[in-house]
Amino acid sequence: MSVPVSRINDESSPETIENWDSFHGLILADELETRFSVKFVLEDLTSVKKVGDIKKSLGKYGILINDE
Amino acid sequence: MSKANSIKDITFSRKIRVAILSSFTINGLEESLTVKCAERNIECETYNSPYNQYNQDILSSTSSLYEFSPNLTFLIIDTRTILSSLFYNPYSVSTSERREYIDNRVNELVSLVERFISVSDSKLVVANFHAPVYSPYGICETKTEYGLRDMILDLNAKLADSLRNESSIFIFNFDAFVAKYGDVNVFDYRQFLFGDIKVSLNYIPYLAEELMGYIKAHLGINRKCIVLDLDNTLWGGIVGEDGFEGIKLSPQPSGMPFLEFQRVILALNERGIILAINSRNNEDEALRVIREHPHMVLREENFASIKINWNDKISNIKSIAEQLNIGLDSLVYFDDDPINREVMSKALPEVITVDLPEDPALYTQKLMSLNDFNTFSITEEDKKRGRMYVEERKRSQLENSVSNLDDFLSQLGIKIKIIKADKFTIPRISQLVLKTNQFNLTTKRFQEEDILKFSQDKNMLVGCAQTADKFGNNGVTGVFILQKSPDYSEWSMETFLLSCRVMGRRIEYGIMSYILSEARKEGIKKVRGRYIPTKKNKPCESFLPNSGFKKEGEDWVYYTDVPFEMAKNLELIAE
Repeated sequence: MSVPVSRINDESSPETIENWDSFHGLILADELETRFSVKFVLEDLTSVKKVGDIKKSLGKYGILINDE
Repeated sequence: MSKANSIKDITFSRKIRVAILSSFTINGLEESLTVKCAERNIECETYNSPYNQYNQDILSSTSSLYEFSPNLTFLIIDTRTILSSLFYNPYSVSTSERREYIDNRVNELVSLVERFISVSDSKLVVANFHAPVYSPYGICETKTEYGLRDMILDLNAKLADSLRNESSIFIFNFDAFVAKYGDVNVFDYRQFLFGDIKVSLNYIPYLAEELMGYIKAHLGINRKCIVLDLDNTLWGGIVGEDGFEGIKLSPQPSGMPFLEFQRVILALNERGIILAINSRNNEDEALRVIREHPHMVLREENFASIKINWNDKISNIKSIAEQLNIGLDSLVYFDDDPINREVMSKALPEVITVDLPEDPALYTQKLMSLNDFNTFSITEEDKKRGRMYVEERKRSQLENSVSNLDDFLSQLGIKIKIIKADKFTIPRISQLVLKTNQFNLTTKRFQEEDILKFSQDKNMLVGCAQTADKFGNNGVTGVFILQKSPDYSEWSMETFLLSCRVMGRRIEYGIMSYILSEARKEGIKKVRGRYIPTKKNKPCESFLPNSGFKKEGEDWVYYTDVPFEMAKNLELIAE
């Protein structure tokens, strides 16, 4: 979504990140699935409201993201 | 997506405006098209109709669709939308109601697209419908009259029939696209339920690739010729090392990939794609395989240009292009050797050098994936093209094989038929009069109306020569226009020209002997000609003196009582 990493924190959401619309959100989900070899369920996709939620979803599948 | 954002620094050589109208969320398609176009130096400007607004966009004559003024428009409507509530259970209504339903949808669609082309001059590409693979009737689906699949297949067939004769409308086989990649891949239920996405994001680039075929056809950047290496490309092994018997070309698994590859290439050739060979080999050995190997599918007569030698492949391919009189950007090159391919694509980037997979079993698939041969129509001319090029190649081969012009001509067996200008020949005559530069004595330019007037003037004679030889027919290749003096004492040649296609075969002497013997027959004493030099007509500088004309002031004159020897090896047929 062309955002510098420094601007992203757990509270970043479609409100604070300009290019984060539902379409780009799906693309992000797709890339995360490929990168971490997981498959999200539809509820994961609809429930994500901010970056923190993404981390929680990944956590469900055993992927832990630290803040670096 | 990020590629789409970074296209700024390319110099585009072409532009196209593409509109996308869809009944579902198809985000990502315009970006994919833009990127793929940029890879070919095409600037692609896109318009994406608002979600499911295709009807409104087309029906309103002031919509932003028409304001955008596209060159090419893609209309993609999905099966669920067209079937509406019948999608889940078509059997909730009777068979005749199902038929009526489909007929109504066909009529609606046809009206819609005809409305579009009546307002816009854009070409329209309409996607057909994917036949559902699931039915609540299960295995009884195919036993049911006019079932779910039948409905869609019928819809597709009726749509194709209704729109076949509209030259600006094309049907995109969306059903085949889904079949190619599989329903389970192209349709992602999560994406559909999340955002009404009916072509999964991962498959949007593949869809864009298919649609590129139309973009390339619209811009006329189709490729006309396939250039082929031989060893390990058209057959397995190296003929110079494995010999005629040792190369792999047979219905066995080791040879089958090459048979298959050749068969698909042959079909393209029959459709109008020219073939050429670029191979480093001993010519006799390689030609022997092409001519005599029992399993060879492509034969010598399929190739318009054959370069089998020990020269470098770059100069070979350049001379192939020159010989066929087509640009390097019309060529597609197949070579199994990655080093040859690397050298070729660096030296001549205008040639498409196909990245052949290592496994010959996959050659054919790679060939079929190219969409660079697409045009909006395939004509009879196209289908004959291959043959005409081959005829020309055989002529030059003969020429190179004989030691002198006489032998060449006697073997060619040229026949010249002289015809007086009539409504069938006048268009071609005026074409030649307007564009022939090299073998043209006076370079006088006349329009078609002038030629028509001359042909009706009894003090003038307009004639043309149709030529053929043992390899084929060349059509009208020579033109003469004579002015008869009112006192019947002499004729003067206003125009005498020969198409550059048949120069160097003494056909001009055949035509001249016709003119002189006609003059003699009608009691005309003198035939007068003039050579008006230009920058381009040096080739005919000596024609008049060589024919026995004598200089008198500015003109050249022939006295018809002097016998004229027609060039041997030409057969003259007068009307």
